[in-house]
Amino acid sequence: MKKVAVVGIGHGKFGVRSDASLRELVFEAVKACMDDSGITLKEVESMVTGVAGDEFSFGIQPSAQVHDYIGFHPKPNFRVEAACATGSAALRTGWMNIASGLADIVLVVGVEKMTEVPTSTATEIMGRAGDATWEYPFGTTFPGYYAMIANAHMAEYGTTEEQLARVAVKNHYYGSLNPYAQMQKEITLEKAVTSFTVAYPLKLYDCSLITDGAAALMLASEEKAKSISKKPVWVAGLGCGTDAMRLGDRKSLTSLEATREAARIAYKMAGVGPSDIDIATVHDCFTIAEVVAYEDLGFCEKGEGGKLIEAKETYVGGRIPVNVDGGLKSKGHPLGATGVSMAIEITKQLRGEADQRQVKNAEIGLTHNVGGSGQVSFIHIFRRG
Amino acid sequence: MWADPDRCHSFIFSGGDRMEFKNFSLFINQTKVNRFTDDLAGGRIMSTLCKKCEKQYYPPQADCSSCMGSDMEWKEIKTEGKLLTFTKIHVPPEHFAVRQPLMPFSSIQFEPCPIGIIEVEKKLPIMGWIPKMDIKKIKVGMKMKASPFTLPDGKITIVLEPV
Repeated sequence: MKKVAVVGIGHGKFGVRSDASLRELVFEAVKACMDDSGITLKEVESMVTGVAGDEFSFGIQPSAQVHDYIGFHPKPNFRVEAACATGSAALRTGWMNIASGLADIVLVVGVEKMTEVPTSTATEIMGRAGDATWEYPFGTTFPGYYAMIANAHMAEYGTTEEQLARVAVKNHYYGSLNPYAQMQKEITLEKAVTSFTVAYPLKLYDCSLITDGAAALMLASEEKAKSISKKPVWVAGLGCGTDAMRLGDRKSLTSLEATREAARIAYKMAGVGPSDIDIATVHDCFTIAEVVAYEDLGFCEKGEGGKLIEAKETYVGGRIPVNVDGGLKSKGHPLGATGVSMAIEITKQLRGEADQRQVKNAEIGLTHNVGGSGQVSFIHIFRRG
Repeated sequence: MWADPDRCHSFIFSGGDRMEFKNFSLFINQTKVNRFTDDLAGGRIMSTLCKKCEKQYYPPQADCSSCMGSDMEWKEIKTEGKLLTFTKIHVPPEHFAVRQPLMPFSSIQFEPCPIGIIEVEKKLPIMGWIPKMDIKKIKVGMKMKASPFTLPDGKITIVLEPV
């Protein structure tokens, strides 16, 4: 099995990008990735495209739109999909291409164009990422699923709405320092706890955003990586886990079993544990999801997630800085691009290029990306070269 | 709120013309467990039970993921149990969004209905609407009962009520 490194990153501006189509968004990210890596598309042997929703892309084969527009044909490219974790599924597929020896240089693209449909349509598309037959008839939405996780967590561990709001305050603070973020605006605790209810107990500021955006990674085998990049970042561990379709069928409503399984595998492969992680990006589609992630990833004991954010331990300078790029909450959540964007943030941190958000001397970083309400989870662990 | 049938109809099934699976589900019409909705209309919430390994399924499955068999029988569920979790969705998906009133310059206030999941028998989860309770009074762990409910226009759903 060949070793795989990230040798290039390209991040487009996230936001309501009514100025650009899906393929044009990808072009921005790919161009930036070529500039960063110094690799031209001629040298890239294979490509993977992550797009989550056909309904968002207005047609099947969005991956063909992408390779056509950047002129990648006739080389290999296809789409992968894992709902909100699509970007991480694309990275994992890109890694497989190289680890297996199929290719030495692979381009991984993640993109979603979500704001061209009305918000109620986007809400419906994402609501159907639950069980369309047995859950959706009760009007379930994405915030609805996580609201049910939140109510269970609050009942079992005494987690409070204020603790959840503190996740939003942190992530907005760091989003304000990230030029690629959709919302570059700090919020107060009071504003977060008094915002309107989306799905009880989750309020507006507990929810991530509906976003257009693209991100790209250049991956290379060990032989190639050393000549391409002075600062290669190695993919040291990969984990993937799954869980039941419906919330009610899960072993736990206060934890994501898919994440626990993915974490177990990834930590083992990388030969590290939770206390070795210097910086993490976790799937904060809702504030409760970040709190649950702290616990499932082993950053604190089960039920202590609310206290971890209250003690500001997940800020830069704390025990384990989390989502200091703004997270899905403030940077935005273009489904297919999110996992790729998470890997970009970790690469920047391990290269020491994260400016005001830099975690001092970060050596090991982790990304955590969840599909749906926890049906699939991907974890990647990265190590500085 | 449920005292006014027109109101509850408007928020639960405003996309009613697109209802399928014999008036229960929205998208799936063709399934081996179609009988479920006939029983629901008859006042029973049914599960399936694997004849070989006795694993019970709700929602019903035509096939057993435990032993990979497909020899199943129908079994009525005793629908009293405890509430696992709940929510109240204030921003509904498109299907459930209230239609605009016809009268100009008027609006109706959208008051959504809470939903929840109860656990009955051997860990069977039943999702349903909780029409008769204030969200602030709903508590995880409370005893509730699930029942089929026929809406004024004939659509069938499931409601949860405290016992």
